Amino acid sequence: MALDIKKSFIDDKNLWNFELIGEVDIYTSPELKEIISNSLKEKESNIRLDCERLEYIDSTGLGVLIGILKTLKRSERDIIIANPKSNISKLLKITGLDKIFIME
Amino acid sequence: MSENISISLPSKPEYVSIARLTASVIANKMGFNVEDIEDIKVAVGEACNNAVLHGNQDDNNFDVEFTVQDDSFIIEIRDKGKGFEVDKCPEPDLCAPKENGLGIFIIKSLMDEVEIESFCGKGTVIKMFKYLKEEV
Repeated sequence: MALDIKKSFIDDKNLWNFELIGEVDIYTSPELKEIISNSLKEKESNIRLDCERLEYIDSTGLGVLIGILKTLKRSERDIIIANPKSNISKLLKITGLDKIFIME
Repeated sequence: MSENISISLPSKPEYVSIARLTASVIANKMGFNVEDIEDIKVAVGEACNNAVLHGNQDDNNFDVEFTVQDDSFIIEIRDKGKGFEVDKCPEPDLCAPKENGLGIFIIKSLMDEVEIESFCGKGTVIKMFKYLKEEV
């Protein structure tokens, strides 16, 4: 299964929303990095990742998110993780990343 | 009972999902529950990532061997790469999160037993075990 990313900018909340559909792994994580980085160049803001249809993420995907969060934190911005499935919540919990991202 | 299934994959990111899917199909057939199947899938994916990212030269394959036993599922991932210092894999530091280095920690968290042998210049073997538990 590949990865499909639907992006939109939500004006009233002033954030980028990315709907992640499929799998973020060693093959697809470079694409995720590129799309988010390009969006931030276009407009810097908080990021919300809608994970309702995200089936899988691995350490390469989490690494991309950590890298982006480091950049965002310089301007006191955040990454919001919304609607993760239980397997993804578990991974965020064991790595402690649920404490550095905002869980929605 | 002990049965083996072996696959050999090119050291490229696009092939890692084949090992993951194979692992989850076998785990499902063995009767693992959904959470265990997901743990096995993630752990196998991380070990294969390790082989592709740090292990092999481009023209080498890495090997994945699945051993099905009555009460356990054993997965061994072997690469022929440069190896790494196993003792230097730290736990995640939330005060200074890093973009890489989470893989081995995730494998150890999700599997029941993990053995890692890495030899400088000769490659790495990651062997992991998941035990079938009686459902209550």
